Amino acid sequence: MLLGIDVGGTFTDAVIIADGRIMASGKTPTTHSALLNGIVTALDKVLAGLDASRIKRVALSTTIVTNALIEGTTDKAALLLMAGPGLNLTGLVPASPYFLSGYTDHRGREQAAPDRTEVAAACRELSGTAVAAVAGKFAVRNPLQEQLVAGWVAEELNPACISLGAQVSGSLNYLRRINSAYYNAAVWRIFSRFAAAMETALTERGLIAPVYILKADGGTLPLAAAKARPVEAVFTGPAASVLGIMALAAPAGPAVSLDIGGTTTDIALWQHGVPLLAPGGAAVNGYPTAIRSFWLRSVGIGGDSYVRRENGSLAVGPMRRGPAMSNGGTEPAVADALRVAGLIDYGNPALARQAMASVAADGQTPEDAAWATLRVATGVVSRTIRAMLTEQAEKPVYKVEDIIAGEVYQPELVIGVGGAALGLAPLVAEQLELPWQVPPGYMVANAVGAASARSTTEITLRADTAQGFYTVPELGIKRPVDKKNFTLQQAWAAAAVHLGERAAAGGMAEAAAHSERIYEEEFNVIRGFTTIGKIMTCRLQATPGVLMPVRVREAGV
Amino acid sequence: MSGKSLGLVFFPAFDWAITPAHPEREERLLYTRDQIVEEGLLDLPNIKEFRPRLARLQDAERVHIGVPGLAQLITDAHLVSAGGAITAAEAVMRREVHSAFALVRPPGHHAMRVVHGTRGFCTINIEAVMVEYLRRHYGLNRVAVVDTDVHHGDGTQDVFYHDPDTLFISLHQDGRTLYPGTGAMSELGSPGAFGATVNIPLPPGTTDQGLHVVLDQLVLPMLEDFKPDMIINSAGQDNHYSDPLANMAITAQGYARLTEKLGADIAVLEGGYAIEDALPYVNTGIILAMAGLDYSRVVEPDIARCPRQSETNTRYIAKLVAEWQDIWRRRDELKREAVAKAGDLWQRRRNIYYDDSGIQEQQQETVRQCPFCQGYQTVATQADSRAGGSRSAFAAIIPRQSCGVCRRQAQAAVHNAKQDGRHDHYYLQDKEQDTLEEI
Ligand SMILES: [Zn+2]
Ligand SMILES: [Zn+2]
Repeated sequence: MLLGIDVGGTFTDAVIIADGRIMASGKTPTTHSALLNGIVTALDKVLAGLDASRIKRVALSTTIVTNALIEGTTDKAALLLMAGPGLNLTGLVPASPYFLSGYTDHRGREQAAPDRTEVAAACRELSGTAVAAVAGKFAVRNPLQEQLVAGWVAEELNPACISLGAQVSGSLNYLRRINSAYYNAAVWRIFSRFAAAMETALTERGLIAPVYILKADGGTLPLAAAKARPVEAVFTGPAASVLGIMALAAPAGPAVSLDIGGTTTDIALWQHGVPLLAPGGAAVNGYPTAIRSFWLRSVGIGGDSYVRRENGSLAVGPMRRGPAMSNGGTEPAVADALRVAGLIDYGNPALARQAMASVAADGQTPEDAAWATLRVATGVVSRTIRAMLTEQAEKPVYKVEDIIAGEVYQPELVIGVGGAALGLAPLVAEQLELPWQVPPGYMVANAVGAASARSTTEITLRADTAQGFYTVPELGIKRPVDKKNFTLQQAWAAAAVHLGERAAAGGMAEAAAHSERIYEEEFNVIRGFTTIGKIMTCRLQATPGVLMPVRVREAGV
Repeated sequence: MSGKSLGLVFFPAFDWAITPAHPEREERLLYTRDQIVEEGLLDLPNIKEFRPRLARLQDAERVHIGVPGLAQLITDAHLVSAGGAITAAEAVMRREVHSAFALVRPPGHHAMRVVHGTRGFCTINIEAVMVEYLRRHYGLNRVAVVDTDVHHGDGTQDVFYHDPDTLFISLHQDGRTLYPGTGAMSELGSPGAFGATVNIPLPPGTTDQGLHVVLDQLVLPMLEDFKPDMIINSAGQDNHYSDPLANMAITAQGYARLTEKLGADIAVLEGGYAIEDALPYVNTGIILAMAGLDYSRVVEPDIARCPRQSETNTRYIAKLVAEWQDIWRRRDELKREAVAKAGDLWQRRRNIYYDDSGIQEQQQETVRQCPFCQGYQTVATQADSRAGGSRSAFAAIIPRQSCGVCRRQAQAAVHNAKQDGRHDHYYLQDKEQDTLEEI
């Protein structure tokens, strides 16, 4: 049995899944000030009458990191950078950085050595700072300088956590790695405290199963590993719903998914059974980071979106003024329109008509006003989807073949989950002229997603045979290779070994069993007119996804 | 953050090369890609990356006359590269961005009007295709092209040699010491476009110091006088001190300052073959400068290698600048003299060598000096290839805003030539109708 918990903005959901079926589910209001209380209540609801020791796995999607960032309750981290030549980073990163000497170039060659006395001086100034981040430009091409400086910082400053840029992400993009490493350190204490409290609460209930935390890219991390990389637990709510769709609907072809909640709709695009990832990574507090994340757009349209007339025309959202009138609220909302249009069958129909009458134009019936409201609401969603499709079509490519033969992305299905999905998803699909589907279980898709998410991790191996070494930045590895005989095939083989190591170190050894090649690049290094070596890049990941499809007997569990 | 927005068309053509070990090969922009991605430049809020469009054959044939046909001489990569320049230009014309940089390959500035093959790594002239596209679709008129590649931009010069509305300024290492050997001060444009071609041949070993003297005292004042509607920078980067194909001593800082001063609306990458030691830094410097960002921290690791400018060069450059200032001051008078001397028809014969294709071309060009329009032109061309083949063609070119007389005479010229039958192919390029037809 798998236990999934999703802490949402409004509700905390918990589900128990056995043999691909939902056994129990529970919903309780999210307790923002003391997050754990709501989680424990939801937990106790689904565990009622169950032997907790039968739970084999617990997975949690929590807003702890996201909230701490939004509310600004994170720590101020010391930020030490070896920036080398290039962009002046002042003002582009979330703290005022200490610029240190020493740098590595694009081939991973040390061009200047770091200076210990400089690091000592910086640490004296930073004395008392609890957490730190160290990042060097091109450290993904050679992580040694970063490790050396981090070692010095550990001795001089002794912070509780030091994040290293190249370990947070193995991809090029210094700016994003700095920001990721910074936020990773900044949320470390808050996450660690939460994780410890969570562990205690689970143990008290006799839960002995391993605990996983959901990541923004839909993978999970064992709680222990998440303590080292807590920033990856940001934006997990939308990721949970996307995984829920994977478990409940398993779209094989290109599709658009909508998670339609009370105040917002989260939109994702799907290809080959998985959602597209955000290029580069997620943005945190407006700063681009390297945190892998689904490519999601959120629009302010949901069942509770406030409906009113502005300068004569109907306006919907993005704000919420409490629940719809049909559900006991005081202001008209989208759910009232859905009720009057006959698209949902809950809520008070008379109050819904009253709500729609209050926004109707002269001579307009409540029914007309309801349909007009829904056209406005779905128009906002459809426009955003079209904008995403345009953006996807204009995504830069770097090969001639991709321009000439690149396939055009065209979704073939609209999938809706979340509270207002049955009402709104078909209307959006109609505007896009696509078929639609609202899978059974759509009300608890998030918790299903959390429960069934597979563990995932990735590694980047880059070999430079002209120089005779390869690096795996996420593991801090730099190793020699045979300059003459190292092949791309060997690079992939080494990558598979390192993926296994990383997975095992993170407590998810089984994850590496399903892996996929997500990037490959091979270039000759030429001096004069002679090939003197090759530069190869291999990126391998434990395939993200769900442990199994989840079936629900009827819609609206 | 700067208020200047920059459009970037980055197209490294990772699957295209002239030959595997040729300087113009797959990894030419690999290290540049590494640097700009690592710097996070594509994530800066004022930099927007655009996907290049594919130029149409018609866009290229608005400029070029390919023998036997352009389609047989180019690959898709050429149309993407030219399309990338067009994408960059359109982003500026539509005011989506303040300026744009087409960081694309293959390059184009050695490709002339008539194309028999590839020369100087270039087959079609991507700046010229872009300029003529803007003229056709956006009504652009006066354009200045400043070519800062180390090699003389002989192709761009050729395309615009008779066009008084295009000021072509080429800064380059003196042709007596470097491919393609042209670009002397005496090449000033045909009489009707006299002074719209400006060649500034610099001595080997010129540094940032010399370059900026030329820029401040010559190029910028010329641009101010010409008052172009748009400034285009053919941003070749082989003046760098580490470039293996040339002998100049410009640094990334020198290039970035040049970019800032020039304030080009559009920059298009040309050459630059120090793919590892120079391109990553020079391109970062140019991108930062165009985006109005601080580029002072862009310094090559081996900057100590960069030589200082010799006294001899400093004196030589000062003299060159003085001579050019004199010509520029007297350009109207010199133009009148040149027009008077040419009479009705201006003619020249040339030999053009296609180093990448092993083709030797002989060309005879005739321009009718028309008082009412730019005057039609004819070109008789014969190309002998190393492999032994030979191919000849005759073409007549009707300019934009042509007068009726030129139009009729150009048509007659190509039909008469066909009747004489001395060539293998006959073409009429009609810039007014935007057509190129084989007669
Ligand atoms: Zn060049
Ligand atoms: Zn005329």
